[in-house]
Amino acid sequence: MVTNLVTIAEQVGAPRIVPGRGIQYPSGDPNLSPPAEHEWRRRLVERALAALTTPVAKPTIFTVDEMGAGA
Amino acid sequence: MTALRRVVHEVGSVEFGPATGYHQHHLVVGRELLESLFADPALAAVRPRLASPGESVRIITPLDVVEPRSKGPGGGMFPGFLAPVNRKRGPDTHVLRGAAVLAAGYLPRNQEGLIDMSGPAAPLSPFSRTHNVVIEFDPAEGAPLLEVERAVRRGLLRLAVQLADAAVDSTPDAVEELAAPHRPGTPTGGLPRIGVITNLQTQGAFKDVFVYGASMAGSLATLFDPAEIEDGAVVAGQYGHPALRNPTYLHQNHPVIAELRARDGLDLHFAGVVLCPEPVEQGGKEHVSAHAAWLCQAAGFDAVIVTKEGAGNADNDLGMKVDALEAAGLTAVALYAEMSGPEGTGPPLVAGPRRGAVVSTGNYDQRLKLPAVAHALGGTRLRIIDAEATAAIEVPVAMILGGLSPLGAGRLTCRAEPPAVGLEGVA
Amino acid sequence: MRLVHYVNQFYAGLGGEDAAGLGPSVRDGAAGPGRLLQQLLGADHQIVATVVCGDDYAASDPAVSAELLGMARAAGAELLIAGPAFGSGRYGLVCARLVAAAQAAGLPAVASMHPDNPGIGEAGAAPVVAAGAVARQMRPTLERLAAAVAKLATGAPLTAEDGRVGATARIGRLVQDRAAKRAVELVLARLSGDRERTEVPIGGFDVVVPAAPVDKASAAAVALVTEGAVVPLGNPDRLESARATRWLRYPIEGVDSLASGTWESVAGGFATTHANADPNRLLPLDAARELEREGAIGHLHGEFFSTVGNGTTVATAKRFGVEWAAELRKAGVQAAILTAT
Repeated sequence: MVTNLVTIAEQVGAPRIVPGRGIQYPSGDPNLSPPAEHEWRRRLVERALAALTTPVAKPTIFTVDEMGAGA
Repeated sequence: MTALRRVVHEVGSVEFGPATGYHQHHLVVGRELLESLFADPALAAVRPRLASPGESVRIITPLDVVEPRSKGPGGGMFPGFLAPVNRKRGPDTHVLRGAAVLAAGYLPRNQEGLIDMSGPAAPLSPFSRTHNVVIEFDPAEGAPLLEVERAVRRGLLRLAVQLADAAVDSTPDAVEELAAPHRPGTPTGGLPRIGVITNLQTQGAFKDVFVYGASMAGSLATLFDPAEIEDGAVVAGQYGHPALRNPTYLHQNHPVIAELRARDGLDLHFAGVVLCPEPVEQGGKEHVSAHAAWLCQAAGFDAVIVTKEGAGNADNDLGMKVDALEAAGLTAVALYAEMSGPEGTGPPLVAGPRRGAVVSTGNYDQRLKLPAVAHALGGTRLRIIDAEATAAIEVPVAMILGGLSPLGAGRLTCRAEPPAVGLEGVA
Repeated sequence: MRLVHYVNQFYAGLGGEDAAGLGPSVRDGAAGPGRLLQQLLGADHQIVATVVCGDDYAASDPAVSAELLGMARAAGAELLIAGPAFGSGRYGLVCARLVAAAQAAGLPAVASMHPDNPGIGEAGAAPVVAAGAVARQMRPTLERLAAAVAKLATGAPLTAEDGRVGATARIGRLVQDRAAKRAVELVLARLSGDRERTEVPIGGFDVVVPAAPVDKASAAAVALVTEGAVVPLGNPDRLESARATRWLRYPIEGVDSLASGTWESVAGGFATTHANADPNRLLPLDAARELEREGAIGHLHGEFFSTVGNGTTVATAKRFGVEWAAELRKAGVQAAILTAT
């Protein structure tokens, strides 16, 4: 699940959570320039794919920006 | 498996006297006998005390609690400790119902538990309703604490047998026939075959439970004859978590076995008992849980009630057992204590099962206000809350011995409702 | 008692979704629904100030609650009221956090929102009383809230009779039967088919058994799904903006990106301007397509599923989830990326 409201995602038990940057734009960031936003969205989807290939036992958060730095 | 007769002698009052005796519900505990039973190089002194229901007495730092029981002149009670394991025992087990012997004092891991014989905490401990012979003790100078523990345990078990011996020739108040569980393959007439798995803590010194005198650490789950448990085959040497501890007394009077027996032939078949260790690491837990589920299947259980001993670590095993059982197609119910914080709004279970169902034995963190008492046994100070043992105190249910009984002896549960009245307001 | 009322930007009259990004402010006296609330409270209690904040600003950072609480206290609050948030998730979340923070700081507080509000869980032990589902139910909602405030002001705890809802406490009770007996009864009930019954809810809100991970994303078929109500421009199939009763599916085979002007979001729960300017912000098709081309995704499923999460009941959402899983599995899809607003 890609969402900004991570707490709710955890409460409802979503096993794999990727935090987005805004409620209105879970897979975007209008504060960035278009190329930067696109790049961020790529990293987001890559992170989502990483989450999908990771075994989890309970709601787990896979942050984008951690991975993004230097990745 | 064996059928057994529980020959019940009720105890309505107790006192110390020169000689041990039992007459018309009155138990006399002989002082000399008691001293001789606890004579040991590891013990410098013992001070026997009495605490009866309704008295303004608080027993602090209680250790093990044992019900006085005897096999009569043939002996054989507490195999592995007092009696050889393989000796054939008679069908009668004499019980002094309403009495208990217990030690109180310092041993490692003994978190400061308490039993209040009256007041708001009384309904939360089974031992507020027994006439208690309380053994305070002083370790001998330099005696290793494990030796102290052994001496105390030996003394308690012997005392339990000798007190019950005094009633053997009395006309019993009741005789309870305890049938053996039904073997697999016995026609059930459509009734479900329900068994119980009792997990035993196996964490080593002062946190161990003994089966035939030995720890189950490192072993797998095993089917076990409940008649053996009646005769003291399971003895507690585990002193942590007072509310989540199963003293020997509660194994002797195993509540889940009792409830299954009560309905045997009515709406269920009592299918058997499994004893199982609680390993302390992930690999062991998975292995033991998977095997236990297989064992229950092989034994022909349709459903299993699972009990534990301890807190979070034990909860882990409990959840894994339930999940393994349910995955194997057996219906499973576990007894858990909740840990939802003082206001009860935290998540109730930290390591709950994913499937199956859970009975609540109360909230570990719920606060209780206890009044001052006239006398305290076991010590003069409750170190964990830095208070005089006789003082008015506020404690969590976690501190009451047997307060969250994982074997299901208690009547406490949790209900989801807006906070209104605390435990003080409940009868 | 001196009361301080918290409302969001909409109820303060500062604007709708366009003003959701506004920071906190405070004004004297009652505002918006606070006026009717004050009337209902009568002379005994006075709303001395109203704290306002935009939903997006407030909901996106838990630390904002401390700020709002500080403002309420500075305004002289002896009791804090938050809402009514009805079914609005962000507003409810902020109200819940605010009363939780107030309670923890020793300030009596009560929030008002619909029991299904997704934010309700964050109130913890702080009281929440039930509001209607929609603002049309303002009057009865405020009547209940006023009664709750009056009761709370006397120091009495709120109970179910006062309309109290939400994460209620699990309180210890001594009951007739010992736990061992209850365990036998429970196992018999479950054996006879009652698979719901349990004394302790298992897993809290919901237990989702995590699916086993996909072996390799580069070999997997992955679908994109959303509850952000992405639909073709004009919403030809009339997806609801709130309280969905259906979900829709649209082909994206050969489509590299969700173009603005071709697609839009009809979600009613938030301002859709950003999403409409670039619908990939709701469903990351452009990035996914690129990654598919590069081999990071084995195959991007040829259609996406869309519904609206806003105000949709848990039961309905669960049903949609089950249906989506079934459809995707039938189509050989192994994993899905769900965007949630």
